[in-house]
Amino acid sequence: MLIMLGLLALAVGAGFIGALSGLGGGVFIVPALLIFARIPMSVAVGASMISVVATSAGASVAFVRDGWTNLRVAMALECATVTGAVTGAYLAGIVPTWVLELLFALMMLQSAYFTMTKTGESIVPRSDPLADRLKLGGRIPAASGNKEIHYGVINVPGGAILMLVAGLMSGLLGIGSGALKVMAMDYVMHLPLKVSSATSNFMIGVTAGAGALVFLARGDVATVIAAPVALGVTAGAVVGGRLLPHANVQSLRTMFVAILLLIAVEMGWRALSGF
Amino acid sequence: MDTIIADEERILRVWTPRILRTILLAAIALLVFGLIMLAWQNPSYYVARFHSLQGNVRYQNRKSLTGLIVTALAGDPRSIMTLGLMVLTLVPLVRVAFCFLLFVKERDGIYVAFTAYVLIGLVAGVILGRVG
Repeated sequence: MLIMLGLLALAVGAGFIGALSGLGGGVFIVPALLIFARIPMSVAVGASMISVVATSAGASVAFVRDGWTNLRVAMALECATVTGAVTGAYLAGIVPTWVLELLFALMMLQSAYFTMTKTGESIVPRSDPLADRLKLGGRIPAASGNKEIHYGVINVPGGAILMLVAGLMSGLLGIGSGALKVMAMDYVMHLPLKVSSATSNFMIGVTAGAGALVFLARGDVATVIAAPVALGVTAGAVVGGRLLPHANVQSLRTMFVAILLLIAVEMGWRALSGF
Repeated sequence: MDTIIADEERILRVWTPRILRTILLAAIALLVFGLIMLAWQNPSYYVARFHSLQGNVRYQNRKSLTGLIVTALAGDPRSIMTLGLMVLTLVPLVRVAFCFLLFVKERDGIYVAFTAYVLIGLVAGVILGRVG
Protein backbone atom coordinates (compact mmCIF):
# COMPACT_ATOMS: atom_id res chain seq x y z
CA MET A 1 0.00 0.00 0.00
CA LEU A 2 2.86 2.38 0.89
CA ILE A 3 4.60 1.60 -2.41
CA MET A 4 1.40 2.34 -4.33
CA LEU A 5 0.92 5.64 -2.48
CA GLY A 6 4.59 6.52 -3.01
CA LEU A 7 4.24 5.95 -6.76
CA LEU A 8 1.06 8.05 -6.79
CA ALA A 9 2.84 10.89 -4.96
CA LEU A 10 5.81 10.75 -7.39
CA ALA A 11 3.42 10.83 -10.33
CA VAL A 12 1.37 13.73 -8.92
CA GLY A 13 4.61 15.72 -8.46
CA ALA A 14 5.80 14.94 -12.01
CA GLY A 15 2.41 15.86 -13.51
CA PHE A 16 2.31 19.09 -11.49
CA ILE A 17 5.81 20.25 -12.55
CA GLY A 18 5.12 19.07 -16.11
CA ALA A 19 1.99 21.25 -16.33
CA LEU A 20 3.63 24.31 -14.75
CA SER A 21 6.69 24.09 -17.01
CA GLY A 22 4.60 23.33 -20.09
CA LEU A 23 6.84 20.34 -20.85
CA GLY A 24 4.40 17.59 -19.81
CA GLY A 25 4.66 14.94 -17.11
CA GLY A 26 6.59 12.36 -19.16
CA VAL A 27 9.79 14.39 -19.03
CA PHE A 28 9.76 14.24 -15.22
CA ILE A 29 8.13 10.87 -14.43
CA VAL A 30 10.69 8.74 -16.32
CA PRO A 31 13.70 10.06 -14.33
CA ALA A 32 11.60 10.07 -11.12
CA LEU A 33 10.79 6.37 -11.58
CA LEU A 34 14.41 5.57 -12.41
CA ILE A 35 15.98 7.54 -9.57
CA PHE A 36 13.46 7.37 -6.71
CA ALA A 37 11.55 4.12 -7.42
CA ARG A 38 14.59 2.32 -8.94
CA ILE A 39 12.46 1.03 -11.80
CA PRO A 40 14.29 -0.08 -14.98
CA MET A 41 14.14 2.20 -18.02
CA SER A 42 11.95 -0.13 -20.13
CA VAL A 43 9.23 -0.29 -17.44
CA ALA A 44 9.42 3.46 -16.77
CA VAL A 45 9.05 4.25 -20.49
CA GLY A 46 5.89 2.09 -20.84
CA ALA A 47 4.28 3.61 -17.75
CA SER A 48 5.21 7.14 -18.77
CA MET A 49 3.81 6.70 -22.27
CA ILE A 50 0.45 5.69 -20.79
CA SER A 51 0.57 8.71 -18.46
CA VAL A 52 1.17 11.03 -21.42
CA VAL A 53 -1.92 9.58 -23.13
CA ALA A 54 -3.92 10.04 -19.90
CA THR A 55 -2.83 13.65 -19.38
CA SER A 56 -3.51 14.55 -22.97
CA ALA A 57 -6.90 12.78 -22.82
CA GLY A 58 -7.81 14.89 -19.79
CA ALA A 59 -6.83 18.08 -21.59
CA SER A 60 -8.39 17.09 -24.89
CA VAL A 61 -11.90 17.00 -23.47
CA ALA A 62 -11.81 20.75 -24.11
CA PHE A 63 -10.74 19.81 -27.67
CA VAL A 64 -9.98 22.79 -29.93
CA ARG A 65 -12.49 24.83 -27.97
CA ASP A 66 -9.70 27.32 -27.38
CA GLY A 67 -9.67 28.39 -31.02
CA TRP A 68 -5.85 28.32 -31.12
CA THR A 69 -5.43 24.72 -32.31
CA ASN A 70 -4.73 24.50 -36.04
CA LEU A 71 -6.40 21.20 -36.90
CA ARG A 72 -4.98 21.00 -40.43
CA VAL A 73 -1.40 21.56 -39.28
CA ALA A 74 -1.95 18.95 -36.54
CA MET A 75 -3.27 16.28 -38.88
CA ALA A 76 -0.70 16.92 -41.62
CA LEU A 77 2.19 16.67 -39.14
CA GLU A 78 0.60 13.78 -37.24
CA CYS A 79 1.45 11.58 -40.25
CA ALA A 80 5.12 12.15 -39.41
CA THR A 81 4.81 11.86 -35.60
CA VAL A 82 2.74 8.66 -35.70
CA THR A 83 5.22 7.07 -38.13
CA GLY A 84 8.03 8.05 -35.77
CA ALA A 85 6.20 6.95 -32.62
CA VAL A 86 5.28 3.48 -33.93
CA THR A 87 8.86 2.97 -35.19
CA GLY A 88 10.31 4.27 -31.91
CA ALA A 89 8.06 2.10 -29.73
CA TYR A 90 8.97 -0.94 -31.82
CA LEU A 91 12.69 -0.13 -31.54
CA ALA A 92 12.38 0.52 -27.77
CA GLY A 93 12.23 -3.23 -27.27
CA ILE A 94 15.53 -3.69 -29.12
CA VAL A 95 17.67 -0.59 -28.44
CA PRO A 96 20.13 -0.96 -25.50
CA THR A 97 19.23 0.93 -22.31
CA TRP A 98 22.33 3.15 -22.40
CA VAL A 99 21.30 4.49 -25.81
CA LEU A 100 17.83 5.34 -24.44
CA GLU A 101 19.41 7.09 -21.44
CA LEU A 102 21.74 9.08 -23.68
CA LEU A 103 18.85 10.10 -25.95
CA PHE A 104 16.85 11.11 -22.87
CA ALA A 105 19.75 13.30 -21.71
CA LEU A 106 19.87 14.96 -25.15
CA MET A 107 16.10 15.57 -25.10
CA MET A 108 16.47 17.20 -21.65
CA LEU A 109 19.14 19.54 -23.04
CA GLN A 110 16.83 20.41 -25.94
CA SER A 111 13.95 21.06 -23.50
CA ALA A 112 16.21 23.26 -21.34
CA TYR A 113 17.29 25.23 -24.41
CA PHE A 114 13.65 25.60 -25.46
CA THR A 115 12.59 26.73 -21.96
CA MET A 116 15.33 29.38 -21.93
CA THR A 117 14.70 30.74 -25.41
CA LYS A 118 10.93 30.61 -26.03
CA THR A 119 10.18 34.29 -26.28
CA GLY A 120 9.87 35.50 -29.83
CA GLU A 121 7.02 35.61 -32.29
CA SER A 122 7.91 35.51 -35.97
CA ILE A 123 4.66 35.38 -37.92
CA VAL A 124 4.86 35.27 -41.70
CA PRO A 125 1.97 36.95 -43.53
CA ARG A 126 1.83 34.49 -46.45
CA SER A 127 2.19 30.73 -46.73
CA ASP A 128 4.66 29.16 -49.15
CA PRO A 129 3.14 27.23 -52.13
CA LEU A 130 3.02 23.80 -50.41
CA ALA A 131 1.50 25.15 -47.18
CA ASP A 132 -0.92 27.18 -49.27
CA ARG A 133 -2.00 24.08 -51.18
CA LEU A 134 -2.53 22.30 -47.85
CA LYS A 135 -4.53 25.29 -46.53
CA LEU A 136 -2.38 25.47 -43.40
CA GLY A 137 -2.63 29.20 -42.74
CA GLY A 138 -5.05 30.53 -40.16
CA ARG A 139 -6.24 33.50 -38.13
CA ILE A 140 -5.60 34.56 -34.56
CA PRO A 141 -7.08 37.43 -32.55
CA ALA A 142 -4.98 40.60 -32.68
CA ALA A 143 -3.41 41.81 -29.44
CA SER A 144 -5.63 44.88 -29.48
CA GLY A 145 -9.14 45.40 -30.77
CA ASN A 146 -11.48 42.93 -32.39
CA LYS A 147 -9.41 42.46 -35.53
CA GLU A 148 -7.87 39.16 -36.54
CA ILE A 149 -4.37 38.63 -37.87
CA HIS A 150 -3.79 36.17 -40.69
CA TYR A 151 -0.71 33.99 -40.31
CA GLY A 152 1.01 31.97 -42.99
CA VAL A 153 2.98 28.73 -42.71
CA ILE A 154 6.29 27.90 -44.39
CA ASN A 155 8.75 24.99 -44.66
CA VAL A 156 6.35 22.07 -44.11
CA PRO A 157 8.98 19.42 -45.10
CA GLY A 158 11.45 20.81 -42.52
CA GLY A 159 8.73 20.78 -39.84
CA ALA A 160 7.68 17.26 -40.82
CA ILE A 161 11.27 15.94 -40.47
CA LEU A 162 11.51 17.40 -36.94
CA MET A 163 8.10 15.91 -36.15
CA LEU A 164 9.34 12.50 -37.28
CA VAL A 165 12.22 12.86 -34.81
CA ALA A 166 9.77 14.05 -32.10
CA GLY A 167 7.59 10.98 -32.72
CA LEU A 168 10.61 8.68 -32.66
CA MET A 169 11.69 10.13 -29.30
CA SER A 170 8.13 9.75 -27.94
CA GLY A 171 8.06 6.09 -28.91
CA LEU A 172 11.55 5.37 -27.59
CA LEU A 173 11.43 7.39 -24.37
CA GLY A 174 7.74 7.56 -23.39
CA ILE A 175 7.60 11.36 -23.44
CA GLY A 176 5.32 13.76 -25.29
CA SER A 177 8.23 15.59 -27.02
CA GLY A 178 6.18 18.79 -26.71
CA ALA A 179 9.25 21.05 -26.64
CA LEU A 180 10.50 19.63 -29.94
CA LYS A 181 7.04 19.83 -31.53
CA VAL A 182 6.60 23.48 -30.54
CA MET A 183 10.10 24.28 -31.82
CA ALA A 184 9.32 22.65 -35.17
CA MET A 185 6.13 24.68 -35.56
CA ASP A 186 7.41 27.93 -34.07
CA TYR A 187 11.01 28.17 -35.32
CA VAL A 188 10.82 26.16 -38.55
CA MET A 189 7.25 26.66 -39.81
CA HIS A 190 6.79 30.11 -38.24
CA LEU A 191 3.41 29.47 -36.66
CA PRO A 192 2.47 31.85 -33.82
CA LEU A 193 3.76 30.53 -30.45
CA LYS A 194 0.31 30.14 -28.90
CA VAL A 195 -0.97 28.25 -31.97
CA SER A 196 2.16 26.04 -31.86
CA SER A 197 1.61 25.24 -28.16
CA ALA A 198 -2.11 24.46 -28.56
CA THR A 199 -1.53 22.38 -31.71
CA SER A 200 1.34 20.51 -30.01
CA ASN A 201 -0.92 19.67 -27.03
CA PHE A 202 -3.49 18.32 -29.46
CA MET A 203 -0.87 16.18 -31.22
CA ILE A 204 0.85 14.76 -28.11
CA GLY A 205 -2.00 12.40 -27.21
CA VAL A 206 -2.15 10.86 -30.67
CA THR A 207 1.64 10.46 -30.86
CA ALA A 208 1.86 8.90 -27.39
CA GLY A 209 -1.26 6.83 -28.13
CA ALA A 210 0.48 5.31 -31.16
CA GLY A 211 3.48 4.35 -29.02
CA ALA A 212 1.30 3.13 -26.13
CA LEU A 213 -0.63 0.82 -28.45
CA VAL A 214 2.64 -0.88 -29.51
CA PHE A 215 3.71 -1.28 -25.85
CA LEU A 216 0.27 -2.57 -24.77
CA ALA A 217 -0.05 -4.98 -27.68
CA ARG A 218 3.45 -6.30 -26.98
CA GLY A 219 2.50 -6.83 -23.33
CA ASP A 220 5.29 -4.49 -22.17
CA VAL A 221 3.22 -2.28 -19.89
CA ALA A 222 3.62 -3.16 -16.21
CA THR A 223 0.05 -2.53 -15.05
CA VAL A 224 0.94 -2.27 -11.35
CA ILE A 225 3.24 0.68 -12.16
CA ALA A 226 1.38 2.22 -15.11
CA ALA A 227 -2.05 2.48 -13.41
CA PRO A 228 -1.01 4.59 -10.37
CA VAL A 229 1.43 6.60 -12.53
CA ALA A 230 -1.25 7.44 -15.12
CA LEU A 231 -3.74 8.46 -12.42
CA GLY A 232 -1.16 10.46 -10.46
CA VAL A 233 0.36 12.33 -13.41
CA THR A 234 -3.11 13.27 -14.66
CA ALA A 235 -4.18 14.52 -11.23
CA GLY A 236 -0.94 16.52 -10.89
CA ALA A 237 -1.40 17.98 -14.36
CA VAL A 238 -4.97 19.05 -13.56
CA VAL A 239 -3.83 20.86 -10.38
CA GLY A 240 -0.81 22.37 -12.18
CA GLY A 241 -3.02 23.50 -15.06
CA ARG A 242 -5.41 25.20 -12.62
CA LEU A 243 -2.54 27.01 -10.86
CA LEU A 244 -0.78 27.98 -14.09
CA PRO A 245 -2.70 31.26 -14.70
CA HIS A 246 -1.83 32.44 -11.16
CA ALA A 247 1.81 31.32 -11.16
CA ASN A 248 4.74 33.56 -12.04
CA VAL A 249 6.08 31.20 -14.68
CA GLN A 250 8.95 33.53 -15.62
CA SER A 251 10.45 33.26 -12.15
CA LEU A 252 10.01 29.46 -12.17
CA ARG A 253 11.80 29.18 -15.52
CA THR A 254 15.30 29.17 -13.98
CA MET A 255 14.25 26.39 -11.61
CA PHE A 256 12.82 24.29 -14.47
CA VAL A 257 16.02 24.74 -16.51
CA ALA A 258 18.08 23.68 -13.47
CA ILE A 259 15.92 20.55 -12.99
CA LEU A 260 16.19 19.68 -16.69
CA LEU A 261 19.98 20.10 -16.64
CA LEU A 262 20.24 17.94 -13.50
CA ILE A 263 18.17 15.22 -15.19
CA ALA A 264 20.35 15.51 -18.32
CA VAL A 265 23.51 15.06 -16.22
CA GLU A 266 22.02 12.10 -14.30
CA MET A 267 20.81 10.35 -17.46
CA GLY A 268 24.06 11.09 -19.30
CA TRP A 269 26.05 9.68 -16.38
CA ARG A 270 23.87 6.54 -16.26
CA ALA A 271 24.34 6.05 -20.01
CA LEU A 272 28.09 6.50 -19.98
CA SER A 273 28.74 4.53 -16.78
CA GLY A 274 26.69 1.59 -18.07
CA PHE A 275 28.32 1.82 -21.50
CA MET B 1 -17.06 28.65 -45.06
CA ASP B 2 -19.97 29.08 -42.64
CA THR B 3 -21.08 25.49 -43.31
CA ILE B 4 -17.56 24.26 -42.57
CA ILE B 5 -17.51 26.16 -39.27
CA ALA B 6 -20.97 24.78 -38.39
CA ASP B 7 -19.80 21.21 -39.10
CA GLU B 8 -16.64 21.76 -37.06
CA GLU B 9 -18.73 23.24 -34.28
CA ARG B 10 -21.08 20.26 -34.16
CA ILE B 11 -18.59 17.45 -34.71
CA LEU B 12 -15.62 18.76 -32.74
CA ARG B 13 -17.11 20.97 -30.07
CA VAL B 14 -20.32 19.15 -29.20
CA TRP B 15 -20.00 15.42 -29.84
CA THR B 16 -16.28 14.88 -29.36
CA PRO B 17 -15.97 16.28 -25.82
CA ARG B 18 -19.02 14.26 -24.69
CA ILE B 19 -17.74 10.98 -26.08
CA LEU B 20 -14.13 11.60 -25.02
CA ARG B 21 -15.25 12.48 -21.50
CA THR B 22 -17.29 9.26 -21.26
CA ILE B 23 -14.34 7.12 -22.45
CA LEU B 24 -11.94 8.92 -20.12
CA LEU B 25 -14.22 8.50 -17.10
CA ALA B 26 -14.69 4.81 -17.91
CA ALA B 27 -10.90 4.35 -18.09
CA ILE B 28 -10.32 6.20 -14.80
CA ALA B 29 -13.09 4.20 -13.11
CA LEU B 30 -11.53 0.90 -14.26
CA LEU B 31 -8.03 1.96 -13.13
CA VAL B 32 -9.18 3.20 -9.70
CA PHE B 33 -11.42 0.15 -9.18
CA GLY B 34 -8.61 -2.24 -10.19
CA LEU B 35 -6.06 -0.54 -7.94
CA ILE B 36 -8.39 -0.51 -4.93
CA MET B 37 -9.29 -4.17 -5.52
CA LEU B 38 -5.62 -5.14 -5.75
CA ALA B 39 -4.70 -3.19 -2.60
CA TRP B 40 -7.68 -4.72 -0.78
CA GLN B 41 -7.48 -8.33 -1.96
CA ASN B 42 -3.79 -8.99 -2.42
CA PRO B 43 -1.43 -6.24 -1.22
CA SER B 44 1.49 -8.67 -0.94
CA TYR B 45 1.16 -9.44 -4.67
CA TYR B 46 1.61 -5.73 -5.45
CA VAL B 47 4.77 -5.52 -3.34
CA ALA B 48 6.18 -8.74 -4.84
CA ARG B 49 5.41 -7.57 -8.39
CA PHE B 50 6.98 -4.17 -7.72
CA HIS B 51 10.21 -5.73 -6.38
CA SER B 52 10.44 -8.18 -9.27
CA LEU B 53 10.10 -5.24 -11.68
CA GLN B 54 12.88 -3.44 -9.80
CA GLY B 55 14.98 -6.54 -10.35
CA ASN B 56 14.39 -6.14 -14.10
CA VAL B 57 12.44 -9.38 -14.40
CA ARG B 58 11.07 -9.42 -17.96
CA TYR B 59 7.42 -8.53 -17.74
CA GLN B 60 4.96 -9.84 -20.30
CA ASN B 61 1.30 -9.07 -19.88
CA ARG B 62 0.11 -10.51 -23.14
CA LYS B 63 -3.43 -11.80 -23.25
CA SER B 64 -6.03 -11.83 -25.98
CA LEU B 65 -8.75 -9.21 -25.64
CA THR B 66 -11.37 -11.90 -25.02
CA GLY B 67 -9.18 -13.52 -22.36
CA LEU B 68 -8.67 -10.15 -20.74
CA ILE B 69 -12.40 -9.38 -20.63
CA VAL B 70 -13.20 -12.82 -19.21
CA THR B 71 -10.62 -12.51 -16.41
CA ALA B 72 -11.65 -8.89 -15.74
CA LEU B 73 -15.29 -9.97 -15.39
CA ALA B 74 -14.12 -12.72 -13.03
CA GLY B 75 -12.72 -9.92 -10.83
CA ASP B 76 -8.98 -10.10 -11.59
CA PRO B 77 -7.66 -6.63 -10.62
CA ARG B 78 -4.70 -6.74 -13.05
CA SER B 79 -7.00 -7.52 -15.99
CA ILE B 80 -9.37 -4.73 -14.92
CA MET B 81 -6.45 -2.26 -14.85
CA THR B 82 -5.08 -3.47 -18.21
CA LEU B 83 -8.56 -3.02 -19.67
CA GLY B 84 -8.60 0.50 -18.18
CA LEU B 85 -5.29 1.30 -19.89
CA MET B 86 -6.65 -0.03 -23.20
CA VAL B 87 -9.81 2.08 -22.89
CA LEU B 88 -7.55 5.07 -22.22
CA THR B 89 -5.70 4.58 -25.51
CA LEU B 90 -9.07 4.71 -27.26
CA VAL B 91 -9.20 8.47 -26.55
CA PRO B 92 -6.61 9.53 -29.18
CA LEU B 93 -8.00 6.93 -31.61
CA VAL B 94 -11.54 8.31 -31.29
CA ARG B 95 -10.23 11.86 -31.62
CA VAL B 96 -8.56 11.05 -34.95
CA ALA B 97 -11.68 9.17 -36.07
CA PHE B 98 -13.74 12.33 -35.46
CA CYS B 99 -11.26 14.39 -37.48
CA PHE B 100 -11.56 11.81 -40.26
CA LEU B 101 -15.36 12.19 -40.21
CA LEU B 102 -15.03 15.96 -40.29
CA PHE B 103 -12.78 15.93 -43.36
CA VAL B 104 -15.01 13.38 -45.11
CA LYS B 105 -17.94 15.70 -44.46
CA GLU B 106 -15.97 18.62 -45.86
CA ARG B 107 -14.94 16.49 -48.88
CA ASP B 108 -11.32 17.47 -48.28
CA GLY B 109 -9.48 14.64 -50.07
CA ILE B 110 -5.95 15.45 -48.90
CA TYR B 111 -6.96 15.56 -45.24
CA VAL B 112 -9.13 12.46 -45.52
CA ALA B 113 -5.95 10.74 -46.75
CA PHE B 114 -3.84 12.24 -43.92
CA THR B 115 -6.26 11.20 -41.16
CA ALA B 116 -6.73 7.75 -42.76
CA TYR B 117 -2.92 7.35 -42.71
CA VAL B 118 -2.82 8.30 -39.00
CA LEU B 119 -5.62 5.82 -38.21
CA ILE B 120 -3.85 3.09 -40.16
CA GLY B 121 -0.62 3.99 -38.32
CA LEU B 122 -2.37 3.55 -34.96
CA VAL B 123 -3.76 0.15 -35.99
CA ALA B 124 -0.37 -0.84 -37.46
CA GLY B 125 1.10 -0.11 -34.02
CA VAL B 126 -1.14 -2.77 -32.48
CA ILE B 127 -0.18 -5.31 -35.16
CA LEU B 128 3.52 -4.47 -34.84
CA GLY B 129 3.26 -4.86 -31.05
CA ARG B 130 1.58 -8.26 -31.40
CA VAL B 131 4.23 -9.63 -33.74
CA GLY B 132 7.20 -7.76 -32.18
